[in-house]
Amino acid sequence: MKPAPFTYSRPADWGAAVALLQSGARPVAGGQSIGPMLNLRVVQPDAVADLRHLPGFGGVALSGGLCRIGAGTTHAAIEDDAVPGRLGEILAGVARRIAYRPVRNRGTIGGSLAHADPAADWVAVLPAFRGSAVALGPGGERRIALADFVMGLMETALRPDEVLRAIELPTLPAETRWGHWKFCRKPGEFSKATACVLAVPGEVPRAVLAALDEAPLVISDASALLAAPEAEAARIANAVPGLSPWRAALARTALKRAAAMVLETA
Amino acid sequence: MTRLPIRMTVNAENVELLAEPRSHLADLLRGELLLTGTHTGCEHGVCGACTVELDGAPARSCITHAGACDGATVRTIEGFEGDAVMAALREAFTAEHALQCGYCTPGMLVMARDIVLRLPDADEARVREELSGNLCRCTGYRGIVAAVMRVLDRRRGLAGPAASRAA
Amino acid sequence: MSREGVGASILRKEDVRFLHGRGRYVGDIRPAGMLEVAFLRSPVAHARLIGVGKPEGAEGRVFTIADLEGVGAIRAASALPGFRASGQSVLASGKLRHVGEAIAACVAPSRAAAEDLAAACALDYEELPAIADMLSAREPGAALIHDHWPDNAFLETSREEDLSGLDGIAAAKVTRRLRTARQCMVPMEGRGVLAEWDPRLEQLVVTTSTQQPHVIRTGLSETLGLDEGSIRVVAPDVGGGFGYKAILLPEEIVCAHLAIRLGRPVRWIEDRLEHLTASANCREHHYVVTAWADREGRLLGVELDATVDSGAYSSYPFSACLESAQVGSIFPGPYTLPRFRYRTVSACTNKPPILPYRGVARTGVCYAMETTLDALARELGMTPAAIRLANLVPPEAMPYRNLVGKVFDSGDYPEALRRAVAHFDLERLAQRQAEGECVGFGLATFCEQGAHGTSVYHGWGIPFVPGYEQAMARFSPDGVLEIRTGLHSHGQGMETTLAQVAHEILGVPVARVRVVHGDTALTPYSTGTWGSRGAVMGGGAVAEACRLLGERALAIGAFLLQAEPGQVELSGGAVRRRDGGATVTLDEIARTWYRRPQNLPRDVDTSGLEVTGGYRPDPDTGTHSYACHAVIARIDQDTGEVVLEDYVVVEDGGKLLNPMIVDGQVLGGIAQGIGTALYEEMPFDAAGQPLAGTLADYLVPGATEVPGIRIDHMETPSPWTRFGQKGLGESGAIGPPAAIVNAINDALHRFGAEVFDLPASPERVLAALEEARRGR
Repeated sequence: MKPAPFTYSRPADWGAAVALLQSGARPVAGGQSIGPMLNLRVVQPDAVADLRHLPGFGGVALSGGLCRIGAGTTHAAIEDDAVPGRLGEILAGVARRIAYRPVRNRGTIGGSLAHADPAADWVAVLPAFRGSAVALGPGGERRIALADFVMGLMETALRPDEVLRAIELPTLPAETRWGHWKFCRKPGEFSKATACVLAVPGEVPRAVLAALDEAPLVISDASALLAAPEAEAARIANAVPGLSPWRAALARTALKRAAAMVLETA
Repeated sequence: MTRLPIRMTVNAENVELLAEPRSHLADLLRGELLLTGTHTGCEHGVCGACTVELDGAPARSCITHAGACDGATVRTIEGFEGDAVMAALREAFTAEHALQCGYCTPGMLVMARDIVLRLPDADEARVREELSGNLCRCTGYRGIVAAVMRVLDRRRGLAGPAASRAA
Repeated sequence: MSREGVGASILRKEDVRFLHGRGRYVGDIRPAGMLEVAFLRSPVAHARLIGVGKPEGAEGRVFTIADLEGVGAIRAASALPGFRASGQSVLASGKLRHVGEAIAACVAPSRAAAEDLAAACALDYEELPAIADMLSAREPGAALIHDHWPDNAFLETSREEDLSGLDGIAAAKVTRRLRTARQCMVPMEGRGVLAEWDPRLEQLVVTTSTQQPHVIRTGLSETLGLDEGSIRVVAPDVGGGFGYKAILLPEEIVCAHLAIRLGRPVRWIEDRLEHLTASANCREHHYVVTAWADREGRLLGVELDATVDSGAYSSYPFSACLESAQVGSIFPGPYTLPRFRYRTVSACTNKPPILPYRGVARTGVCYAMETTLDALARELGMTPAAIRLANLVPPEAMPYRNLVGKVFDSGDYPEALRRAVAHFDLERLAQRQAEGECVGFGLATFCEQGAHGTSVYHGWGIPFVPGYEQAMARFSPDGVLEIRTGLHSHGQGMETTLAQVAHEILGVPVARVRVVHGDTALTPYSTGTWGSRGAVMGGGAVAEACRLLGERALAIGAFLLQAEPGQVELSGGAVRRRDGGATVTLDEIARTWYRRPQNLPRDVDTSGLEVTGGYRPDPDTGTHSYACHAVIARIDQDTGEVVLEDYVVVEDGGKLLNPMIVDGQVLGGIAQGIGTALYEEMPFDAAGQPLAGTLADYLVPGATEVPGIRIDHMETPSPWTRFGQKGLGESGAIGPPAAIVNAINDALHRFGAEVFDLPASPERVLAALEEARRGR
């Protein structure tokens, strides 16, 4: 199928981008999620605003212990170590398992997060970090904690006239431990359960359980999970409402295995 | 229907065309530029048949819509004459019986070339992982994987002595 | 053996064009003035169609059945007793019988604009209860899909035999209830058709992605009311077939009609959504099998109740009964089954029609028989190998006629099994199992009847019966050998293998042999490429045509060498005197015939260097290739995911025309079989809605899902074919579900669990494990 008709514009600066969103245009970055939806006529926007050419849309900058990743940074760039240090190592490992390389070459971290497909990798992983999403609207910039950003199935804390400009993440010490496990029957398949555990030295460990068909479940203190992975994974997964027995088993397994990866590197 | 003026470099030639914003790169290549070597197998970005080189890296032409192509540099299967890696892959694909009906082959070759150049140390498991976004319904993949490995191995064999000479 | 004749693994002639993106598929062809078609399709599985509202101003660009005067319905009847024919209107008429059924054809300069038209149509219908499952189709009070039928079944077949005494004498008896999923075939290129009217030849030219251009021509003639001489069907490069392209499509007929009516080229290209949710499916079977065996594992008898979900319509040409009626006759497989009772049903449901997919009914039958055998073996405490060896037809019994009259031509079935098993370290596996690993070993042995002809098909009474296969052979004036075949090659490499056959007979270098196929105007009639018949039928026909052509060339050559015909022979691409004297090349003979006729004898055969040769094996009941698949599977007990650790195939396809190409067929088939075993399923909800619309939902194996596969060949020639070759194009797709599920169950039964339904998805495997845990 081919998309329903739409108009296309390419804003030259951020102000123009916000103005386009105010007029109802659908923002598009890499287009790797919305592309198929357009082709299936699942979404039929009247107007599309292509953000790819905005100044500073892609790119990574470090300052004062904070890593600012432009929303338009591609998965492939992150896979290829655009982000430095231990944080970059962790993100590169996540990026490499997103879809396929040709999709990673176009798809962006911000686009994926703002699209808020519960099965998507950044949606599942970023809430583990004590960082924020930088949103730009008519009133200027505001920061939204990553743990609060995705609110449901394709639903975010962004207002309709706000564009996601960047992701800000604290840099991580080299000793940071990380576990990430997702269930896909084949590479590129939508995850049926994703979990990650982040243990930063001197901080309370955090975990996320995601790909639950709704907003990710953020576990702001994962100490119990690391202390008793099997029992705690079961407790957390069983408390998620509406999961089939198989999906519950996958959720349990995801948490357990992500925790094990952290414990193995202890 | 308003049409967008699109300027691209396709296979090293400058082209200008008018396209509906909703048209995708694969249809522009096939329908407007008559470069029918790029095939569409799903138009959902899943099967990989439409993979082309877009701004220097493989991309799905079926989910890249017209507007995003303005100013882009595109290389399709028809644009690799004289490319040594592609020539080696073509030879290896035949030698390893890596194609049957031929429909997935152009996208598979574009992806294979990227693997060879980007991951010179890849082993078979990595090659399989990297090829996993390109579906083939005929071959069972053994020939395709073997062909990519053959080219990687040959390049590693060549790189070895050359590297040591340089050292 | 010549370096490039029969048996040589030469590289494929056809590769070059594909490797450079110069293949030419139907979607690549774009004549001036072409219009594109999008179809308005049924959103519901079962409804009474009340009306279609055409968008205002577009009345002349949207066509319903009411607009298609003179176009007949598709009727694929069978002569089998009791068969109920379903007339399939090319656009829905009166009722909607499955989601995706075409209702109106919308025509525009671009596909996108045609889809806009379809989206703007108003559809009025009254929904009816849907029959979404083959077992509920025949329940009392079920809604009737074809109103004038007494119930929802195309056909029932049965074989009676008294099995009542077996309970008393059997050492083991098992009953299994098994299902195979509804699948989509997913060739990478979907269907597609371009129809044009050629005013010069007053001919409809239909370029279509088909495996059988000549049969499509007949079908178009019957439905359009044109004589066959007014229709030319061209099958260009075809991006995979697998059975999906052996069907006359409503869309083909509609496009052909519109091209004539509008005086413009008209094209429809199936997209992936249409392929998955609107077009023909395959494979969906349900079995209840009961088997009895003695203490040594010898089968005493089998009772089978099989249902095939045939969908809403009988598709042309193979009909709705090809699968179900075959189930009974092929169920005994490669075994010496002494007693057998069966009942099969082709159930009619509110789903798309099914087509025979690579392996046809054999994949399901093999699955049912082989998993049941393993259940018996577990009951008896035997190994899977031992129970098979107790039942396989022994080589000394060949040719062997089984209890339903199938005749196996040749082979050593037990040896294939022994060789396959010998590839594995089963002691090591037993050790791992003893240590508690969830890992298992599975086998499947089966045979594949291929290239079966008239004697098998005439009783079916389907729209065509395969008979004699012809090929044409001719020299061009410069000595190039042209071979013309009515078969179609869409991945099988026939442009190479048939050239090898020609080379074998005439000695012309393969590079100087051109194989022409895929055009009713250029090739002799053939029922096409299906049923694993290309190598046997095409190979035989090409050999015969070349033999006849060689005789003509020999006569001219003898004259040019001033010898009697008996004093010369044909070898190495030349006619030479047997006494070792002079030679004259076939090139020179061709040049003489065409361009220097003054040098020919007065009594030369005036038919020249162009012949048609025909072929039919005798008997034509088909070749039986056979194989043993063996696999080790490991199960993740947390997720239910199955990993294939090792996979071995021992295959006997008789004499192999080109072993490299044969391996390619086997490997590709196995990948599809792995899909059937573990991944592929088109689920439908209770309302008959298909639930997978993209290849992200309908999972097809990729490079990471297909393990390294080892192939070991045996080569027992068929006594009945030209070179001893056997059909095996489908074989690879038959064994994997049986072998893989047997391996899974070998692992699971140690935990008290077993899976029955395909695909053995993680969800099903985990459910089996959970059920066992709860039961303990």
